Amino acid sequence: MKLPITVKLALRNVFRNRIRSLITLAAIAFGGVSIIVAGGFFEDTFLQMREGVIHSHLGHIQIYKKGYNDHGSSAPFDYLIEEPGEIVDKITSLNHVKLVTPRISFSGMISTGDNTVAVFCQGIDPEGELILNKIETVKNAETGLVIQAGANLAKGDRFDVILGRGLAKNLGAKPGDSLVLLTNTVGGSLNAFDMNVKGIFFTTSKAFDDRALRLPIDMAQKLLRTEGIQTLVVLLDRTENTLAVKTKVIKTIEGMELEIKIWNQLADFYTKTVELYGRQFFVLKLIITIIVVLSIFNTINMAIWERTREIGTIMAMGYKKKDILKLFLTEGLILGLLGGITGIVLGIGLAWGISLFGIPMPPPPGATIGWTAFIRVVPDLLVSSMMISVAASLLSSFYPAFKASNLNITDALRHY
Amino acid sequence: MIEVKNITKIFNLGNVQVTALSDVSISAETGEFLAIAGPSGSGKTTLLNLIGCIDKANKGYIEIDGQDVSQMSSNQLADIRANKLSFIFQTFNLIPVLSAYENVEYPLLMLEKDPEKRREKIFKALHSVGLDTHIKHRPNELSGGQRQRVAIARALVTDPKIILADEPTANLDIKTGEKILDIMKQINEEKKTLFVFSTHDPKVMQMASRIIHIRDGQIAKYSHFDRRFGLEDEKYPGNERRAESDPREQI
Repeated sequence: MKLPITVKLALRNVFRNRIRSLITLAAIAFGGVSIIVAGGFFEDTFLQMREGVIHSHLGHIQIYKKGYNDHGSSAPFDYLIEEPGEIVDKITSLNHVKLVTPRISFSGMISTGDNTVAVFCQGIDPEGELILNKIETVKNAETGLVIQAGANLAKGDRFDVILGRGLAKNLGAKPGDSLVLLTNTVGGSLNAFDMNVKGIFFTTSKAFDDRALRLPIDMAQKLLRTEGIQTLVVLLDRTENTLAVKTKVIKTIEGMELEIKIWNQLADFYTKTVELYGRQFFVLKLIITIIVVLSIFNTINMAIWERTREIGTIMAMGYKKKDILKLFLTEGLILGLLGGITGIVLGIGLAWGISLFGIPMPPPPGATIGWTAFIRVVPDLLVSSMMISVAASLLSSFYPAFKASNLNITDALRHY
Repeated sequence: MIEVKNITKIFNLGNVQVTALSDVSISAETGEFLAIAGPSGSGKTTLLNLIGCIDKANKGYIEIDGQDVSQMSSNQLADIRANKLSFIFQTFNLIPVLSAYENVEYPLLMLEKDPEKRREKIFKALHSVGLDTHIKHRPNELSGGQRQRVAIARALVTDPKIILADEPTANLDIKTGEKILDIMKQINEEKKTLFVFSTHDPKVMQMASRIIHIRDGQIAKYSHFDRRFGLEDEKYPGNERRAESDPREQI
């Protein structure tokens, strides 16, 4: 292949001082590797957190009676969906929808005899929740709701409950214990059931685990003396399809006096964490860019000093300022491309190596369990790593190249 | 071909002004093999740089091949250099990362876009300086004489009207230097290319068709070499006048 002379010259000049070019390339590649590994770590953290909150209890989309989100907290039973069957069928038939499962939430009191505590109760469909809890899209993560002791609720369970880990600890309850669950019915009177503790669970959210009790939805309806449900939780095949399905759901429920929320509107903690880490990552990228700029600046600046007479000679031949500018910018571009590619290769390699073992992490704020972080290399990261390498290289070669192109020819020819 | 009229070149070195050339006029025609002689610091190189369009005079007027170059922009001057002029340097100034062949090709890339024709011209130029082998070698793999041959081939390949050489043999041993001069002379005779070269070597001056002697930034005299009588002064209208006055008083 015949390369244009500028590229040929630039390439050979890059390799003229091998040690210096290698050090420069190493600096650029190191920047690329840092971006890929740090970015990949953040990506993995975000993904694990996201799938964690979705599969522990949020689901991808939640459907409520119109007005529930504005006024439901003071009068939850005013916003019940009385005949969910038709809606469930319609939503289930949509593309990408894996599951629609009903819930009814209410507050109540439980008593072990010694202790009485206010709790947040969730009436759920055990079969549906089991599917919801299963995480299939993330490597090494299996479930959004872990049973720590005893067993999870199952189809056919009647007077059984499972307790959040914090709540169980607070009560001193363990599987097999019995307790009394007391609450107001939809009509306003008091009702109480004797329940049996079947298991203790925890999720990614400590706040939830500290207060939550789950019971089969039919028992909850009996306790509350209603036929209705409060929330329909929709699970999709992939989180990436949320927005597409959201539009379809809105269309489907048109005129049905319903409203919806999607997972990121509900996962406040996740959204804020992503925002915070995103800022940190931006600063990291900025620092890396500056390092790359400085190192290339130094290389090209030194190259110009060494090659002053050569530049004079080239210009004496009749080459113009713009040709010299082009030559040195090309050298910067080559350094950036080579460094960027090296960075990507090494970055992917290192990410793979780290992910073989994973990084043990302490519990994040608001959570109770540690987790294992991996490095998730996504195409976006590779693109931004390459772009930073190339842009920083071009940026830093611009001033030296400009200086070279403005050399006085006779001075340059006298240079030794 | 070259018309230099009343040029003055002053260098600013910090607070000191040094007059390198003062009111110098010369002319040179196609086919000449013109030497500019004088001790170092006399202004030879400055005069060559001005003729070579890589420097600008403070005063005066220079015409190259009928074009006034004294008011041209740097891009226009670059075009003149590319099309009409070539340089041969004392230190050869080859591009170290390019092979002999590529060094010769480099200036031609601007002018000859057809690769086949370019190849032909490069081989012709290399052949005319007697360099048929070693063309894939880089400059650091060549001897001084070979390097200067490559440099001459590079100067020759664009078929310039004028070749300027600043002490072309000063970095070579006597024998090699003579060979290089023979090559230059041969090209001069065959192609009628105007050569202007600076030297302070009397042996080199012997080859010139005409010698311009410069001293302290002014033309001291013209002469030519005669086999029987050695260097013979020529009539030059300014000779007497200039001999009487000290040139430094005019600064």
